[in-house]
Parts: sequence; structure tokens; C-alpha cells
Amino acid sequence: MGVVHGQEMVLNIGPQHPATHGVLRLQVKTDGEIISEITPYMGYLHRCFEKHCENVTYEQVIPFTDRCDYLASMTMNFGYVVAMEQLMEIKVNDRVEYIRVIMAELQRIASHLLGIGAFGLDLGAFTPFLHMLRDRERILDIFEMTCGARLLYNYMWVGGLSHDLPTGFVEATLNFLDYFEPKVDEFENLLGHNKIFVERTADIGTMPAEVAISYGVTGPNLRGSGVKWDLRKDDPYSIYDRFDFNVPVGKGMKGTVGDCWDRFYVRIQEIRESVKIVRQAIDQLPKDGDVHQAMPKKIRPPKGSIYRRTESPRGDLGYYIESDGSDTPYRLKMRSPAFTALSVLNEIGAGWLMSDVLGILGSLDIVLGEIDR
Amino acid sequence: MNEDKEKIISEAVEKALQGEMDAINNIEDRVTRSKAKAALVKAKRAKAVNDEDSIKEDDTSESKVEEKINFNQTVCQKISEKFPESIDAEQNDDWIQVKPENWLKIAKWLKSDEKLYFDSLQCNTGIDLGEGVLESRYNLHSMKHLHKVEIRIKISAEKPDIPSVEQVWRVADWFERETYDMFGINFIGHRDLRRILLPDDWEGWPLRKDYEEQETYHGIVVPKVKEGWE
Amino acid sequence: MGLLENKFTDNIIVEKLDKLLSWSRATSPWFFQFGTACCAIEMMAAAASRHDLMRIGIIPRSSPRQADVMIVAGTVTMKMALRVKKLYEQMADPKYVVAMGSCATSGGPYWQHGYHVLKGVDIVIPVDVYVPGCPPRPEALIEGLLKLQEQILEERPLTRKIG
Repeated sequence: MGVVHGQEMVLNIGPQHPATHGVLRLQVKTDGEIISEITPYMGYLHRCFEKHCENVTYEQVIPFTDRCDYLASMTMNFGYVVAMEQLMEIKVNDRVEYIRVIMAELQRIASHLLGIGAFGLDLGAFTPFLHMLRDRERILDIFEMTCGARLLYNYMWVGGLSHDLPTGFVEATLNFLDYFEPKVDEFENLLGHNKIFVERTADIGTMPAEVAISYGVTGPNLRGSGVKWDLRKDDPYSIYDRFDFNVPVGKGMKGTVGDCWDRFYVRIQEIRESVKIVRQAIDQLPKDGDVHQAMPKKIRPPKGSIYRRTESPRGDLGYYIESDGSDTPYRLKMRSPAFTALSVLNEIGAGWLMSDVLGILGSLDIVLGEIDR
Repeated sequence: MNEDKEKIISEAVEKALQGEMDAINNIEDRVTRSKAKAALVKAKRAKAVNDEDSIKEDDTSESKVEEKINFNQTVCQKISEKFPESIDAEQNDDWIQVKPENWLKIAKWLKSDEKLYFDSLQCNTGIDLGEGVLESRYNLHSMKHLHKVEIRIKISAEKPDIPSVEQVWRVADWFERETYDMFGINFIGHRDLRRILLPDDWEGWPLRKDYEEQETYHGIVVPKVKEGWE
Repeated sequence: MGLLENKFTDNIIVEKLDKLLSWSRATSPWFFQFGTACCAIEMMAAAASRHDLMRIGIIPRSSPRQADVMIVAGTVTMKMALRVKKLYEQMADPKYVVAMGSCATSGGPYWQHGYHVLKGVDIVIPVDVYVPGCPPRPEALIEGLLKLQEQILEERPLTRKIG
């Protein structure tokens, strides 16, 4: 693109830019309009999560995990609770398991809606953002009916849940699903097959599969590159092996495999699969069972350590918990999926134009609270 | 399922019932191997019913734990064959303790060896064990064979040097920067070791157990005391 | 003159210039969206379709030079504190600050062991309205902004203060 090579220019994006992804600073070295190197600088939201976890009890860690990835707090709680129950060898009853799966999948739908909406907003599409937020509000209504909070729930506790389902929950959820299923097709048409969107995202920011695995990228970003890896199928936890759902993989429908459009499309397909799972879970939901039955009076795990991964909407969420027998953790580390997703930005972003970089960043769907912890 | 596979499975299960788990672990094809493991579980259950032992329902988890223990020891043995004197004295069923000197070579071999093929580093944790001892723990996982292992490296807090493995797994680049930021562990050979989460002029290593917060940062008071609080 | 004669009655209003100025400032405070963490999502939800902020006259702007109100939504860390001060100084007078959420008010849930968290944004910039909550509901943010409007309405920018 052009034979004239000027001097290298260093530009700064952030740390304050429109509040979609958070406070992130990108130092971009450009040669004319083409990017030669991108360096992300983080830490503007480092809130000392791991230091807090060493000083509070195991139950008190759960609200802190909410606030790390604030767009998907149910799955953050879920990951912690699954790891703790494996460490303490607690088995919960079926009703708790089904409710947890329903909440986690509804949360996955809400998180993907906001992720895709913000991606469109970065590229200039304002209408799909408003439509998706409108539908996300209905999911937040369902959550508010259950546990009282709109964004940070503190719902899943070790050995059970904080509240049982209220009356009217099943009808409300089924109504929502009946209303929402045709909307997904509408979103796909409105944003996905839009000519401008396709031209701005197809063939841009291609991520080959080996690069993705080596950089530790997981979740929809990895599946967009053609690798069929989903922890709900390959390393099942809770009762995910009782449901029948597919794992969508990017096929390069509009361009090469692993471009931004593929990552967007994988997320749309995952919304459809989550709707299927919620319907099956509501069908099979047992009518009786006490959600507080298996909760221990005081959480004191045996000495030892565990590393357990679960599937959050952004990828593999891992908790490494080391316990020394007392009631506060000795060391708790959260392996966040967005941290590794951001590290691949330099690899796939270099060589594109300035206006493509924000599209590539949007397609990775990062949340700064999780990266900086 | 065709005949040779059935034969392989039944042979492997017979050997395993006598205690040689390697017969199953060495089956190349993933599908056949998992079928063999399932058949082993069934056979054990049948055998125990015949012996009138009470089998609980977590028989499968017991065999899983057995496999994991045996796999861990297999990897441990392989490492000590190829790189003598790299294993720290403690042998365990859950993790492998490695000395820091040969870590880069061990890592390269773990990634490239066909049987093991650990092509993804899941998580790198730093931990302060107290009394001046730091440790760096690596959780490795293989996307091809679906097995995993944990490796721990102990160092002292006065001279915390570990070879860096960022050339082997690119994800270790940022993981090691974060461990350096929080604990002060120096990764030798890392091309760009600087703080990642805290500002560059921050003093101290926060996640160590003896960390004292600094008084002020650029004129702003750091500790929690504010006017009007207790 | 002929067309408009006697068509409109009572169309002359007499008012102090002070009140007119403060009325026009209060009813269109454009905000500078400075969202750091979870409260930013509730701020976005407040500006979206269900709880519409634009009907009150409040429009989001991305540049500090074009804004009147800065809504600090989310935790401010030490690394970010210096930048917050710079952004505040870049805003043109008259400017107001709303601290949204308990992290911006006083450090939030991270007050105890957070070595890197600024315990309240009023350490670096002067704050006019505090909106508590973790995160505050969009309705709570709207109430905070309406309280800010009341505050602005009571100002008398042209009157010289004597004594």
C-alpha cells in the first residue's frame, strides 16, 4: 500500500476512551496509516483481588469474584464454586445443578449480547447496540426476580445457592425465550449480513489455530479459528453431559477462517445453543430439593491445592486455590481468559490499518476488570 | 467397532486388571483408549461383585485417580531418565517438583515429545511459602492427548532466578511478567521483563507475605487511613 | 408586523439574567463518560433505551472539552489517579463531578487491603454529588443527576459575593 515510507509515528489510544472495554492504553506505532506494532498497557484497574482473597474467608471471596468480570458474574461464581466443591468433595443435589446451569446459560446470552453490541458500536453501528441492550434488560429482570441484583449477583455459594427460584420464574423464562428466539435471526441479519459490517470485518485480523493455542487463547476466539474446544464437552463439569447441544466453530463463511467475522458468528451461534440448553434444563428441572442442603456451616477445606477450569463466555476461566486448612485461602489465583486474548493483539493486529485495530480489539471481547483483577 | 480394536481393548483390560496400567495408557488412538478405560471400569466392577466386595459408585473416580497418579509418576520417571538429577527429592502423586536449572530444556522436550505433547500452558502461579521460599507452579495440558500435569519449582527469596519459558509457550510471556510483578521472581532469558499491572515506579512485591505498603505514591497517601475513619 | 399582530399574547418574560443562565446550564448537562469498571455498565444502561437519559437533556460525550459533568463511574486506582486529574483540568468551566458508586465515593469493597486503590476520588478532584450503591441502579444515577440539577439551579453565577 504505497511506496512512500515516512517516519514512524507513535500514537496513544486511551486510557480513557468510550466506556465499552474499560481503561486500556494502547501504544500504536504506525508507518503512515499502517500499524507496525501495538503494545497494550494495563493495570489501570488493578484492584488487588488476589491480596483481598488471602485476607477474607472463603464465603467472602464470592462477591469479589463477581466484580472481576462484571459482565458475566454468574459464571465467575460458578467457576469458583465448582473448584471449591471439588477440593472439599461436596456433592450437591440435582435441583441446585439444574438451576446453576440455567443461570449460567442465561448469563452467557446476556454477556454475548453486550459483547456483540459493543463490537458493533466500535465500528459505528449504534442501532444493534440499543436493540441488544433492550433484550439484555429482560434477562436482567429475570435475574433481579431471583436474587435481587441487576449486575453483581453473589448467587452461587459453595454447596448450594443463596435463594431458591421464585414462583413465576419458569413462566417468565419461557416467555422470554419464546420472545427472544426470532430476535437472534434479526440480529444476525441486521448486523452480521450488513454489507458495511462484512467489509469491515471479513478477512481482517485472521488468527491461525497454532498461534491461538500457543498464546493461550480460548473460548469463542479459539473456536472462531476452527479449533473445536469447549470445556463443557471436553472436560465436563456439573451436569453439562446431560444436555444435547452443538459446539459452533468458525468456517470462514465470509472470508478466511479465523477472521473477525468468524468470531462474531461463533458468538451468535452460541446464543442459539444456550437457548436450547435452557429449554432442556427447564424441562428436566426437578420439582423438589433444598438449595441449602449441602452447604457446610463453616468452610474449611483440607490442606491441598486444586486447579479447575470452567467455560465462561470469554473462554477458559481457571481458579488455582491453595488451602492450608484454615478458613481463609492461602493463595487464590484466577486465570482469566481475557488476559490471554489481549496478548495476541500484537500478533494479529500488526499490518492492518488504524481503523481496523479497533475492530480487531472489539472482536476479542475483553473486559478490563478480568485482565487487571 | 471392528475386531482388531476389540482384541486390543480386551488384551489391555486384562493386563490392567493385573495392575499394568501402561497397557491402556500406551494405546495411540484416543477413542480406543477411552473405550478401554470404560471396559476396565466395568470389568473391575464385575470382578468386585464376584469377590463380594462392596463397590461404591465412585469407582470410576477411583480409577481416574489411579490413572492420574500413574500418569504423573510416568512423566516423573521419563523426566528423570532424560534429564538426570532434575527432580527435587520429593516425589508425589499430584505434582512434579523440578529443579530450576534445566527447566528450559525440560519444557522444550515436554512440548515436542510425541507421547506427551503438552502444547498449552494453562496457568502459571507464583506463591510465597513463607520463610524465604518462593515457588512457581505451571499447569500444563495437552490438547491432543487430553492429559495434564503440574510442575513446581522452588527457589529462595534472596536469589529468585528461574529460566524463562516464553519461547516455548508464547502465553508465558505475560504470565511471567505478572509473577515478576507480584513476587519479584526473576525470569532469566525473558526478553521484556517489566511490571505489567502495577506502575513502573511502584516499590515492593505485593503478594509476598511480608509486604509493607509504601507511604505515598506521587503525593497520594496509600494506606487506608483517611480523615474521619478509625 | 401585520401578520404577527395580536397573534401571540404575553410573550415577553422578564427574568434575572442569573436565573436564566443557571436554568440553561442545569437543563442540559452533557456528561463526560468516564467509566472504569462495573458502574460503567450501569451508566451505559442508564443511557440506553429503558431508562433513557437523553429525555432529561443529558447526552454522552467522549471528549472532556465538550462536557459539563464528569461522571466518575468505577474504581479509580493509583495509576489512573494522575490521569483523572489531568482530564478534570481539561474540562472547561463551569464543570461538575458526580462520583458514582461506592468505589468512587470511598474505595468501595476494596478499602481494606487495596494497596493500589484510591480510597475515594475526592482525594484528587472536588466532587459535587455522591451516588452510593454497588452498582447503583440506573434510577439511582438519574436521581443523583436530578439532584445535581437542583444544585445548579441554586447558583447565581453573575452575582458578586460580598463578605
